Amino acid sequence: MADFIQNYGFLLVTLVQQSLLAMSLYYPLMAGQLSLASPGFYAFGGYIAAIMATVDCFAPWRDLLGWLMFPLEWLIAGSASAVLAFLVGLPALRLKGIYLALATIAFVEILRVISLNLEITGGAIGIFGIPQLFESRWGYIWTFGPLLLLMLFFSYRLDRSRVGRAFKAIREDELAADAMGINPTRYKVLSFVIGAVLAGVVGAMSAPFLNTWNARQGTFDASINYLAFVLIGGSRSMWGPLLGAALLASLPEILRPLKDSRLILNGLVLVFASIYLPKGIAGALGRLKRSGK
Amino acid sequence: MAMDAVQFLQNFLNGISIGSVYAIFALGYTLVFSILGIINFAHGAIFTFGAYLTYCMAVGQFGIGGLLAGLQVPFRFSFPLSLLCGAVLSGIAGVLVERLAFRPLRSRGGDPLLALVSSLGVALVAVNVIQYLVGSEIYSFPSDVYGDIKPAFMFHIGSKIVVVRTVQMIIFAVSMLILALLGYLISFTIVGKALRAVAENPSTASLLGINVDRFILYTFFLSGFLGGMAGSLVGTSFGIAGPYFGVTFGLKGLAVIVIGGLGSIPGAVLGGLVIGLAEAFVPADYNAYKEAVAFAFLFAVLLVRPEGLLGRSLTQKV
Amino acid sequence: MTVLLDAERLSRNFGGLMAVNNVSFQVIEGEIFGLIGPNGAGKTTLFNLMTGLTPVSGGTLFYRGEKLTGLPPHRIAAQGIGRTFQNIRLFKGLSAIENIRVAQHVRTECGLWGGFFSTALSRAEEKNVEKKARELLKLIGLADRAEELAANFSYGDQRRLEIGRALALEPDVLLLDEPAAGMNAGEKHALTEFIRGIREQFKLTILLIEHHVPLVMNLCDRIAVLNFGELIAVGNPVDVQKNRAVIEAYLGTE
Repeated sequence: MADFIQNYGFLLVTLVQQSLLAMSLYYPLMAGQLSLASPGFYAFGGYIAAIMATVDCFAPWRDLLGWLMFPLEWLIAGSASAVLAFLVGLPALRLKGIYLALATIAFVEILRVISLNLEITGGAIGIFGIPQLFESRWGYIWTFGPLLLLMLFFSYRLDRSRVGRAFKAIREDELAADAMGINPTRYKVLSFVIGAVLAGVVGAMSAPFLNTWNARQGTFDASINYLAFVLIGGSRSMWGPLLGAALLASLPEILRPLKDSRLILNGLVLVFASIYLPKGIAGALGRLKRSGK
Repeated sequence: MAMDAVQFLQNFLNGISIGSVYAIFALGYTLVFSILGIINFAHGAIFTFGAYLTYCMAVGQFGIGGLLAGLQVPFRFSFPLSLLCGAVLSGIAGVLVERLAFRPLRSRGGDPLLALVSSLGVALVAVNVIQYLVGSEIYSFPSDVYGDIKPAFMFHIGSKIVVVRTVQMIIFAVSMLILALLGYLISFTIVGKALRAVAENPSTASLLGINVDRFILYTFFLSGFLGGMAGSLVGTSFGIAGPYFGVTFGLKGLAVIVIGGLGSIPGAVLGGLVIGLAEAFVPADYNAYKEAVAFAFLFAVLLVRPEGLLGRSLTQKV
Repeated sequence: MTVLLDAERLSRNFGGLMAVNNVSFQVIEGEIFGLIGPNGAGKTTLFNLMTGLTPVSGGTLFYRGEKLTGLPPHRIAAQGIGRTFQNIRLFKGLSAIENIRVAQHVRTECGLWGGFFSTALSRAEEKNVEKKARELLKLIGLADRAEELAANFSYGDQRRLEIGRALALEPDVLLLDEPAAGMNAGEKHALTEFIRGIREQFKLTILLIEHHVPLVMNLCDRIAVLNFGELIAVGNPVDVQKNRAVIEAYLGTE
């Protein structure tokens, strides 16, 4: 068992982390909003944590709080992401479909370029030597794991609640939802903020996990990855992001023996899954379940 | 930080040059978008493909990495011919992408989002195959690639110099030619009319006897041709920075079409020139932020006028 | 005889085309008010103006003396105005009962917090929502198909479901846009009875766009006739039927 954790601990924690990031895309999607903004908030949250953990002016705080500094970083990263998401989301969510997606892509790129150039973010080199919370990489399962469980529970509750219904109605037909008394702007922004806060907190948790943080943490292809996780796992089910991440994020590792070919296979999986699994894995499983009844 | 007239001229020329490449590249997106209503995320990969192809044909061998390292190609074409062949082969690549990534989805009537993922999968495969074949180091076109013509011309104005690189003139000439041909094709030929009909309403066009599938094929060929041509021109101009150099370009291309107006052909051209000029006029102190210019413009346009400069208004019928 | 809705010179201009041109009328509480006219006369546009889906180019709509024009659709719905759509705009990917639960949004208030922590308020609300949804489904005769996807229902059943959904808003005013479209004679008759029934049961005021003239004459207390965006007649069915301008609009001049 110990050997397994030694070899695969990092992978497992990464899978959990990737699932969480896929979920951050799932919430806006639940309200019908194709937002590719998660990597931006992920990077943002990570930078906040990295800066709080390394920069001198926070040293007295670190001495005072000890390990409690970490939860504080998460809290601040989450709150800051919420504010940023509100500011960006309010104008951007007036856009629909591909226009919204493009606006979020633009947002991520702009953040990335800014982070490459500011002193406080360490420029192109980034921030390194971020203090660890746990001794081994596997230890981080105690941060990401509970967060995943929490978010799964949150999704479960959301699905059956008034707010969740509002999201789904907007996704189905925004105009009709409006006519049925649901304020589309309010709920679209809410879904966007939830996704952003999650991404920001995951970012803050990931900074110590990865030990260094730089502009490569927040790129466009990351958001396409998360989108693929959600679509292939199943965009209508709360398990979708998890299933998709489990399959697609582990693929490069499982295929490691194939070395350079693994990304090629990853790409092929994307193509085949989008053609043959249009409702995602969760959808296909759902169909199997129904036909078995 | 006042700019004098010569500096202005230099920036302007640079801007027009890169702007016209953006325009050509963006047109590839626009053609597919007007016909199918989706963004082909594999366009950036075709851009890369075209660049490498032209390199191999013009220079006659591959570089030092990848499977084909050092492989000598038995022929070596002149630059214009390499450019053309590269573009044509890219067009064929475009058709392949349509067959593999888009057609199966169309026949199943899927969510357009899935087309996005699918084209992305194809892009991932393509870029990695390229990397496998030719490695990931930088490829620079040798300066004698144009044969006897000098790589750059310098004009003296007063005491200052304005540099016009040969490749910039080639880019400009090629772009104008392509745009003129494309404009003629779309507006004045039967093929063009059919394309516009399919873009307007595929089912009606089909009822009128137009073989919609065939025209979608033509469109993807054209789109790939344009993408590959753009890649070759950028590769010649700035060198090929590695198999992923099409990705950022691909994103900028998206910015260009939105700014110009999604689905608008003149919009793609205008958008390309606008971005090219905007990037060229970024003051030297802020050079690092040049990459963000296109996206800042994109974000601004989306907030103020989402239909872009020349797009149609986005009102919905209730 | 209270005036519930007061439309004053409502207009809508689409780039030069006057889809609705200075339309004024009043709707009395409790009546069934029909809106007829040839295709393209502007009836649905008028509904859209009244429910806020399309902004007015001119004029005002008053509801119980309060100004409705300029409010977004969700605020108008909150005031108690429900509607169905000409092209049926159900939430196709949701089940029948989910459609009805959704429409109770304005009559409930539980937020994210309550939903997550399953507070007493949220639990009580959910129970209520469930109960009302089942009742409404029973009323429209679809109780045994509650979990079925709305997309799988027949055209006629979808129309009934849409009315059920609108009723979930607990409206005082119900705007029905061609509810009988695509129905056969028997179904039309049932619908007529149904509409009379819900007016009684829920104390509704109903506005109705319909093409089938006999249905309108039978069901409505008063009728307004639109042609080319203009109101050409309003009154009780018998008078309207005899009105010269109306006959011309439908049949053309001699």
